[in-house]
Amino acid sequence: MPHPKKRTAKDTQSPKPPLRFGEDPLLWVSWLYYEEGLTQGEIARIVGASRPTVNAYLAEARTKGIVSIAISYEKLRSTTLSSALTERFGLDDCLIIPGEGGDRALIDRLGSATAQALPRVLHSGDTIAITWGRTMLSVADAAKDLHLRDATVVQATGGTTATIPYTPEACATRLADSIGARFVPISAPAIVSSPEARRILEQEPVVSEQLQMLGQVNRILFGLSSLRPTSTIHSSGFFEGSIQQQAQYGQAIGSLAGRFIDGTGAIIEGPLGDRTIGIGLDALRAIETRILVSGGYDKVPPMLAALRGNYVTVLVTDAATGEGILRADGLELDSPRPHLKETAPMVTPVRGRRKQFINRTKNAVDEALEGALMAYPGHIEKIGDTVRAIRAVAQKPPGKVGIVIGGGAGHEPSFLGFVGRGLPDAVAVGNVFASPPPDRVLACARDADDGAGVLFIYGNYTGDIMNFDMAAELAEANGITVRSIQTTDDIASVSDNDRAAGRGIAGSIFVFKISGAASARLYSLDECERIARKANASCYTIGVALEPGSSPETQRPSFQLGEADMEFGVGVHGEPGALRQPMTSADRIVDQICDRLFEEMALNEGDRIAVLVNSFGGTPMMELFILNRRLNQRLAKRNITVHKSLVGNFFTSLDMVGASVTLLKLDEELTGLLDDSCEGFAYSQ
Amino acid sequence: MDDIDGQILIDFFRAAATRLDMDRQRLCALDGEIGDGDHGTSMANGFAAVSRRLQQIKGQDPAPAQVMRYAASAFIGEVGATVGPLYATGFLEAARLLEERRLATTDLAELIDAIARGIALRGDACLGDKTMLDAWLPAGQAARDAADAGAGAAQVARAAAEAALRGAQATKGMIASRGRAARLQERNLGHLDPGAASAAVILEAFEETVTEA
Repeated sequence: MPHPKKRTAKDTQSPKPPLRFGEDPLLWVSWLYYEEGLTQGEIARIVGASRPTVNAYLAEARTKGIVSIAISYEKLRSTTLSSALTERFGLDDCLIIPGEGGDRALIDRLGSATAQALPRVLHSGDTIAITWGRTMLSVADAAKDLHLRDATVVQATGGTTATIPYTPEACATRLADSIGARFVPISAPAIVSSPEARRILEQEPVVSEQLQMLGQVNRILFGLSSLRPTSTIHSSGFFEGSIQQQAQYGQAIGSLAGRFIDGTGAIIEGPLGDRTIGIGLDALRAIETRILVSGGYDKVPPMLAALRGNYVTVLVTDAATGEGILRADGLELDSPRPHLKETAPMVTPVRGRRKQFINRTKNAVDEALEGALMAYPGHIEKIGDTVRAIRAVAQKPPGKVGIVIGGGAGHEPSFLGFVGRGLPDAVAVGNVFASPPPDRVLACARDADDGAGVLFIYGNYTGDIMNFDMAAELAEANGITVRSIQTTDDIASVSDNDRAAGRGIAGSIFVFKISGAASARLYSLDECERIARKANASCYTIGVALEPGSSPETQRPSFQLGEADMEFGVGVHGEPGALRQPMTSADRIVDQICDRLFEEMALNEGDRIAVLVNSFGGTPMMELFILNRRLNQRLAKRNITVHKSLVGNFFTSLDMVGASVTLLKLDEELTGLLDDSCEGFAYSQ
Repeated sequence: MDDIDGQILIDFFRAAATRLDMDRQRLCALDGEIGDGDHGTSMANGFAAVSRRLQQIKGQDPAPAQVMRYAASAFIGEVGATVGPLYATGFLEAARLLEERRLATTDLAELIDAIARGIALRGDACLGDKTMLDAWLPAGQAARDAADAGAGAAQVARAAAEAALRGAQATKGMIASRGRAARLQERNLGHLDPGAASAAVILEAFEETVTEA
């Protein structure tokens, strides 16, 4: 600690604050207290004031905002959430672990957090029940440092198949080992084949004695299963067959201890109830301390149900799940997208109505199509009397496989700019961002069919799939063979290794082109389908939005994006993207896109690709070229050969400002087909 | 006891078209929160298309199955989007049922179940997926319970409409696993599913029709 030598008796007057504090004694005092760590007494000596004066200065510095005291955001959020949940659901306690936990899996973090909380809820002499599952096993493993005397751990249910590592037996024995308790199994299966079998087993002296232990339980640790198709409950072997096929369980939203509850937490009685050996839900609710450990967004509905049904006295979960529960229960939280808090401004200026060239909203799509037909009479014409079904004018060789594409309007020049010689044959157009109806697709299929069958190619959207599927059924009934493929090039909308779930965006253009070339070469329907699938599988796109588009229906922005934000991984319908982040330079954006694309595609030195830099409608060519420049720098650095580049408006989203980058990995076959000549009004070579 | 005849169904579709047109903005706004904001337009336009087609057979005392087939054809021919094929398939299932036998107005549950069956088939969804089925399925159950308890046509229809509304409200606590909303994962929590909300509107229209008949 510095002791200024100048401090002598002659300093009867208060010394002036050093220059850097701008003659502000409050700032000086605050600095000494908070930054230098001096005590108020020491400060009093330095500044030549009394200690109470220093104290008053410090208080004033806080009120004036010179000093602000901040609690770590994550800590604050956890605490706030925990009190909100405790209050709302009448809990005894609630432990929320921060949402951002780095690389550790949520289940592990839940396990160790619970283990830290256990000394407060488990005590010597307790009889503790535990259910099964991955989270329970993690809790049991993590509970190592708790040493209880005369404690007993009981399996909450009978046993299950040993094909999983987190069986009821495993969870209960591990917990007993960890905390030094006696272990009581339930020596019977959790689910038996009939109510009679259950009665007989429960009367067995050994089992009967074990079940009596369940009656003495005063603490229970339990997890929850959602009944969503991806839940481990379906692969656990706990229940045979599909639970939801049984009508009684149709309302079930979650499962705990092998029993089922609905959205309000009410117990669902069903045929399995009489065949289940283990603690019943009424008995569970009578236990003094009931600790639910669960997390993950798919667990939100069952957790909410369990909280509503009063199954829980102590809740352990993570911040994101906690927020999800409160929102699902109708509580308005200040930010519905918590992960944006650090980067996005909380207040987004709402832009009003945009100016558009529109006559009547409801005629916009038809009028646009009429105008397009007038602009390109050498390329496109309508099929029958509707402008919503359009064919290529070009003469087709006999016996050619027909290709029908289509989707919602608002993506122009998609899709009508991509029919013609060497391209698909017909296009069905829906309303803005909405699939065309089956009849219209059928009209296209009829027109495109020349006996060799028809291939439908469209983006992977629920609406498009259903309408094209119905059209395919109708076409088959008319004797037309139809195959369908969905484009799935948007890799940002899906998690790893799930390319079949991706949206179809700009990369669809390459799939149209290559499939069109295959059909123009008179390949069979089988071959055309194979090539279309191959092209789609080789095609990877990521889009970035800078400003939302506005629909002609509302003439307003379809989503809100802060002034300094961009949406990474955006689709072509104004849907939110994968990630919202601060706006940055063109090169950094391309770098981010490249990093993701290169990794996903496993691009190697010497690979050959085609590139599409596509505007979403509101971004000018100039900026697309800037993006293309960096893209080519990055590709050159990896020694990737760019065989073909397309830059421009190919697959737009009305007037959305933004762009997408598509890379198509080429082999000899795809290169040849891509190089064939073609003649659509938006794509000709 | 009254049957669900062609005229009741025509009146019902007209009432639904009117109600959906009034709710167009509300449904679009709901959809804007978790989808692409066109649900109100698609539903209102779809039922308006049904009403237009039904004008062609007005006064001809059409069979109820025929009315349902006309309604399905309007959705197949003019609607598209996501709701088009769902309701088209639902109405076709209903038509098939009505071809087999006549239904009393208190047999509403069977009609609702048929529509729900078609929707579930086409959309590959089930209860709890945060879709229109979360309104249709509870509505069918409530109609059956009411009829079993001896309720009259109006009470059965009211029970169905109320259950549909409750079911729609319950979608706030669900996470979508179908359609565009599914891509939002947990971000769609707390939002009402627009498809379930419009299904509740449709069942209110049925209640109105039966009550006034």
